[in-house]
Amino acid sequence: GAKPTVVIPAPLKEKDPRDLIPECFSHLPMAKRIPLSQADKDVHPVVLAVGQQMATFTLRDNIRRLEATLNAFKKVLESYEAPPSSAFSRHFVPHVLNPQIEYLTECRPMCFAMGNAIRLLKARISKLDPDTSDEEAIKTLCESIEGFIQERIYYAEVIIARNAADMIIQGDHILTYGGARLVGKALEQAWADGKTFEVAILDDPCDRTGQAMAKSLRQQGIRVSYYPQLGGVSCHLQHATKVMIGAEAVFANGSLYGPAGTSDVALAAQAANLPVIALCETINFDRERVATDSGMYNEIDPERCTEESFRLLFDTTRDKFLNVVVTEYETITGDAPATAILAILRKQEDPN
Amino acid sequence: MAPVQSGHAPNLRKFLDSLKGQSLDASVESLVSRAHSLLKRRQIKGPEPCAIATAHILLQVVAKTKWNDVDHLLDRIQQVGHKLVEAQPQELVIGNIIRRILGLIRDEAAEDRHGDGDGDDAESLPESSAAATATTTTAATHEPESRSALQSRALSRVPTLSSLSSMAIPQSMFNLLSADPLVDSSPGSSPYGHGSGTSTPMLRVAQPTNLHGLKSEIISGIDEIFDEIQQVDDQIAAVADTQIYPGDFVMVYRPSATVERFLVKAAAKRKFTVLIVGETATATATATATATPGGQQEAPYAALRKKLKSLKVTAINVTSSGAMAYIGRTNKVILDARAVVANGGVIVDGGAGLVARAAAGYSKAVIVLGGVYRVSPEEPSDFGPLVEWGNPAGHIGFTDGPMVSGVDVGIAETEYMSPDLIDIYITNLGAHSRNHLHSIITDHYKKEDMELYGSY
Repeated sequence: GAKPTVVIPAPLKEKDPRDLIPECFSHLPMAKRIPLSQADKDVHPVVLAVGQQMATFTLRDNIRRLEATLNAFKKVLESYEAPPSSAFSRHFVPHVLNPQIEYLTECRPMCFAMGNAIRLLKARISKLDPDTSDEEAIKTLCESIEGFIQERIYYAEVIIARNAADMIIQGDHILTYGGARLVGKALEQAWADGKTFEVAILDDPCDRTGQAMAKSLRQQGIRVSYYPQLGGVSCHLQHATKVMIGAEAVFANGSLYGPAGTSDVALAAQAANLPVIALCETINFDRERVATDSGMYNEIDPERCTEESFRLLFDTTRDKFLNVVVTEYETITGDAPATAILAILRKQEDPN
Repeated sequence: MAPVQSGHAPNLRKFLDSLKGQSLDASVESLVSRAHSLLKRRQIKGPEPCAIATAHILLQVVAKTKWNDVDHLLDRIQQVGHKLVEAQPQELVIGNIIRRILGLIRDEAAEDRHGDGDGDDAESLPESSAAATATTTTAATHEPESRSALQSRALSRVPTLSSLSSMAIPQSMFNLLSADPLVDSSPGSSPYGHGSGTSTPMLRVAQPTNLHGLKSEIISGIDEIFDEIQQVDDQIAAVADTQIYPGDFVMVYRPSATVERFLVKAAAKRKFTVLIVGETATATATATATATPGGQQEAPYAALRKKLKSLKVTAINVTSSGAMAYIGRTNKVILDARAVVANGGVIVDGGAGLVARAAAGYSKAVIVLGGVYRVSPEEPSDFGPLVEWGNPAGHIGFTDGPMVSGVDVGIAETEYMSPDLIDIYITNLGAHSRNHLHSIITDHYKKEDMELYGSY
């Protein structure tokens, strides 16, 4: 029976982009552009703008998304006026904050850092003394958001860059994948420390975030090789001494969630007996979810979900393919294996 | 001449057309230099076009060179072959075809000697190898000599030839099975008795008794190589339905014509899902041009996907250069081998090695497809030179100053994949394990041709 199937004419109404997702990946979420007219009227204009930026991937880095979200929430808090009858602590979360979160999630699935931060924010709100005035509560929350951004985003970046830079030694040949922000910072830090080393950047041709990093490192004087696609990775690894990758998140079982291709690089590096160093802020660590392969949690690239092409944005690297996860904690031992994540998180919550 | 399969790069076809139109006395030299430049400029590239071009050139050499003895011809083939290999050293099939044709000539020559040479033993044996070499150099100046005289000179070279190589090793199954009384009774008396593949009695019946006959035997042997190359894809596809079963998720990387045929053949009997990886947005134009010629205007592998769809097999075009994101879904990976080296390692399209590694990481089967003509007896110690670096123009714009001037940019067109990543090799002779490759090599190449031009 080799007869061609009859093609059913497409219905007149606009096609749902999800219809084009192959069945075996139909469980995965995908970012979606929501026309402003269809957005919930409760959504704050700042959040609307952030949501659009996320849906179009003009804002794509996980930590930049987190930062934009928190700043937007701060604006929401500042413009909040409690209705006369209800208290802030009871009204704000269900009636004001949740619609913002829902909208953002609809635009693009939240990154792990956003989920963690929102959970912490909600916990903070629930701990507010019911007797505090609305003004005071808003002021406290805005301050804690600011503190959070300082500590978990800015300081974390500096400390991780410092820790990772210390792992680079004179004459190293560092191979990295894509334009991971933390890896870029670490390399800059090591260069500023006066170490001489070379960098090879492998890139995802669908993403090309590595190009900007190649240029900026080159401008600082670092010798950079750039490979626009993953082909020949085992050849590039022959010259490398260390592999440094950035992570989107780390699961509770130590698996690393990173830009699609990260796992391929880690696997090839392990086969070449090279240490794989992953860089990740602790805000990206998930303490509940575990994953063993890339199909469990992932996101479909909305730009490449057509009849002709399909792409997942992330992949999952098992902890056995990683040597070290560098975080802003554990500076003394420096090299925590990926499976020590839960221990690190517990220590962070309860330093005693 | 063997019909050329459709779907070759236009430059190969143009080249072959020009061969046909060539007047008889056109110099082989000019042909060779044209082939050399086409290969060098990658206007003929990929294993099949390279193999066909090589065989055509060598066919012209056999047909048009004025050769008076077999050694002269062998020398000439080696010279021309060297030039072709040097033009594209990464393409191991060029060397394979040269070896096959050298082996063919040796076999035919040995058969020829067997046919009428028995009586000449006494005369030809005493001749020293120095004399024989002298004959080779002077042969060209003595053209008016009678055929039989030339014949005996050609024959006089035999002892030197056989002494250079260990001819005693059986080269084909025929040797093992045939009980040749000549060889058995007096192995020492006849220097030809050890000739490879010559002791088959039935082959001795109909034999060319002169150079002209030898020439036509060699040419028909080369034609058989063309036929073999042409039939490879179909023969490989014949085992498709034993390798793919219903419900499979099969991952392929930039499917070649061989892989496409394999999938379509399996799809006629089985319902499965194909994940086509390796095509990326920017690389599309160049990659499809090499993989599916003529399909550049359409979406990647549109023709293949259409064919599979008509057989109710889903094909998903995965726009990604990595494979790990999808390997959890996959049962088996099918890859095209541009060349298989002696240790079982394979030269594949750049990026296919990652797919195999991903599969190995998740213990999924990796199946490699490639005709016997791609199996090379070479085993380079360094695989770096076998990797071909391509043009990054599709990825980096020339207007991008900082990238163009300051950063080294590289695209691997091919890469080497180590044998531990491969589970099964499928050639036109069937499915094999790595251990079987060695006997394929000894069946197809003569020991004296194994190390053709040293290692490159």
